[in-house]
Amino acid sequence: MTTARGAIAAALAAVWAAAAWFLWRTTVPASLHLPNVDEHRFFTAAQLHAAASFSTVSVLLFWGSTLAQISALVAFARWGARWARESAAGPLGTGMLLGMLGFALVWAAQLPLSVVDLWWQRRHGLSHVGYASFVFGDWFALGGQFVFLCVALAIVMGLARRLRRNWWVLAAPAFVGLALLFAFVDPYLIGTHRLADQKLQLIAAQLERKEGVGHVPVVVDRIHDVTSLPNAEAVGIGPTRRVVLFDTLLDGRFTTGELKVVMAHELGHLARNHIWKDVGWYALFAFPGTFLLGLVARRRGGMGEPEAIPLALLVLVVLQLLAVPLQNAISRHMESEADWRALVTTRDPRDAIGLFRRFVPATLDEPNPSTWDYIWEENHPTILQRIAMAEAWREYVRRPVHA
Amino acid sequence: MHPEHPVRLVVEDDLRRNRASVFFRLILAIPHFIWIALWSIAMVLVAIANWLVTLVTGTPNVTMHGWTCAYVRYSLHLNAYLYLVGNPYPGFMGEEGEYPIDVRLPAPAPQPRWKTFFRIFLALPALILASALGGGGGFNYTSRSGGGSRYAGLSARGALSGSCAFLGWFAILVKGRMPKGLRDAAAYGVGYGAQTLAYLLFVTDRYPDADPTAMLDGVGRPPVHVVRVVGDADDLRLSRVLVFFRLPLAIPHIVWLILWGIASACAVIANWFVTLFRGTPARPLHAFVSRYVRYQLHVYAFLYLAANPFPGFAGAPASYPLDLELPGPARQNRWKTGFRIILAIPAFIVSSALGYGLGVTAFLTWFVGLARGAAPWGLRNFAAYALRYQAQVNAYASLLTDAYPHASPLEGAPTPEHEFAEAAKAA
Repeated sequence: MTTARGAIAAALAAVWAAAAWFLWRTTVPASLHLPNVDEHRFFTAAQLHAAASFSTVSVLLFWGSTLAQISALVAFARWGARWARESAAGPLGTGMLLGMLGFALVWAAQLPLSVVDLWWQRRHGLSHVGYASFVFGDWFALGGQFVFLCVALAIVMGLARRLRRNWWVLAAPAFVGLALLFAFVDPYLIGTHRLADQKLQLIAAQLERKEGVGHVPVVVDRIHDVTSLPNAEAVGIGPTRRVVLFDTLLDGRFTTGELKVVMAHELGHLARNHIWKDVGWYALFAFPGTFLLGLVARRRGGMGEPEAIPLALLVLVVLQLLAVPLQNAISRHMESEADWRALVTTRDPRDAIGLFRRFVPATLDEPNPSTWDYIWEENHPTILQRIAMAEAWREYVRRPVHA
Repeated sequence: MHPEHPVRLVVEDDLRRNRASVFFRLILAIPHFIWIALWSIAMVLVAIANWLVTLVTGTPNVTMHGWTCAYVRYSLHLNAYLYLVGNPYPGFMGEEGEYPIDVRLPAPAPQPRWKTFFRIFLALPALILASALGGGGGFNYTSRSGGGSRYAGLSARGALSGSCAFLGWFAILVKGRMPKGLRDAAAYGVGYGAQTLAYLLFVTDRYPDADPTAMLDGVGRPPVHVVRVVGDADDLRLSRVLVFFRLPLAIPHIVWLILWGIASACAVIANWFVTLFRGTPARPLHAFVSRYVRYQLHVYAFLYLAANPFPGFAGAPASYPLDLELPGPARQNRWKTGFRIILAIPAFIVSSALGYGLGVTAFLTWFVGLARGAAPWGLRNFAAYALRYQAQVNAYASLLTDAYPHASPLEGAPTPEHEFAEAAKAA
């Protein structure tokens, strides 16, 4: 019996590894060597100091917030089941209530640090949100999270009450299906506007042809009254694909050439099916994750019992936290490939470097953060790595074999 | 447990109305509007003087108390006349016992100084509720921006009493009588307004009581309605955590309510055809819609803080402390079925007025619940009344019964026929 289980586990591990290898494949040449880049060549001492000072507090707030989250969930796992008496909703509904209360307590525990974080961002001109609207909006937004949480708990607890220990075998595919659904409908959940700039539209059309992605609408998200942070994203799958430019990119701080690099980067994500790969990675984490969750929940009667929910929430958050370095590595890997695609498509490392240089004063991101921060917080390559890739591309295309 | 309020509403009205007087009521009231405006200006000065006296001596001045009582009584008479709660033309001096809708007011008594000092602020929640119910204060906000003037604001003065008067006006012109349900609801609104005014003007330091049953004590109860709200009246406990996060916690229920509502609407349409042709609703459709209407009550009771626990998602009978008793499928009048949606419009008007009061009640209960861990008796009972009426409207509109919703805030009293029917059902 044990041997059979071991063989199955080994086979599953092999399938997992093969899938991971498949998803990890990249078009960034393996032989590409990133040169060492001196940050002082690209940034003034004042810029580096501002970024370092901003990041120091941001990192402290991140870890403080994480600590508050874990502490709240530990307390909730210990005493949270008592709130079951406030429910008239049966086992499933009670589980939902406990799940929502867990999230609510985490929100309350993190609120002081969230407000300090907002103050810190406002102080540096990165956020324009008022304190009252932030707190009230955040409190109200809990409702949206609760809807998704209830759906998730209805799936998990419904399956666990029917299938007992094997609930995760069906729950994981159900969550993957939901992830796929959200990836598909995500563009419809963002309020966007048509890109008005004709020149950028033409550039986008040229880039689409070069990337071979077919027609992908480029739209604008008006968020300048919320933040000054420049950003863009590729969203959707199949017919819902979009490139979304934050209007903070279009406020005159960036040149047309730099915006071209941004669009090429986002189209690169779509060309290399990164959103599909995201769902793929999610699937690879969902199966072992739900299995482990079920294993721990057995201590409280299994995932079908509402009393198990507080503990399950804690375990889920801890597992997610432990997965962060790996998820960041995967994200950096895909972002790096999108950067490479942008260089190949635009053949313009100068504008790419210009874009990355402007990111530092605009976002106050450290160009070269510490290894610890890199592992835990950076889901994009560092600014210096991105500049280094642009310089490496220059050298790469000069090689005779590519001439 | 719940002591009698010193400001007592007296209703000695026989529901009969003079059609001509009702038809011209607003015009006939013009002299009263002028008189109350002048009297109100004088009352502001009296109230300030009485405030200072009460602060210094701890008891209102006897003479000024008498003037204030007359003013409170007069404003009640006028409101009762305007909202068609009473029939005769009121006098101008606010004399006690001269009008069928009257108020008994207490003699001057010592009042705590801190309550007197902060009275205007303490009265704000009651004024907000009074503005929703009728006969009390109102809120208007006017803003001017740029070169052009712009009116922005909300006037909710007497939403409940106003709706009842609006509907009652038509009913009286046809029948010569004010429907009892509408009269009781409007009387409750003006009574609460009188209590608020008495509190604001230092007639008493007892806070206005929103409990409809206490307000209409002595008024005859309507017959039992087939759609009833049941629960433990003394269960006022609220969990503070659930109170604080009430709105986000209710959002999954609201989403589910909307989704279920779509299916329920389809079932109601199908049932409309069945009931129209067969005379009786289809049992499965009736059961499905009953669950939905009951679930709606559970969710609203939770959302508006009329009950504490998190409700289930299935609308199962007896699954929630504030529950709904609904009738089984019974024969219904085909005329009433055919024109149900039109017939339900007056009930929807009263229901939406009560909904406004319910929102105000929930807002106020949220703060009290957080502070005390319990709902205030009066506000909870008003919420239960509003929820009961809304459930009756939903049941009527959804073809669960052809019994028209009864707007009276009072619980129905069992009649001998009803008791016999209940006994027969039990047997």
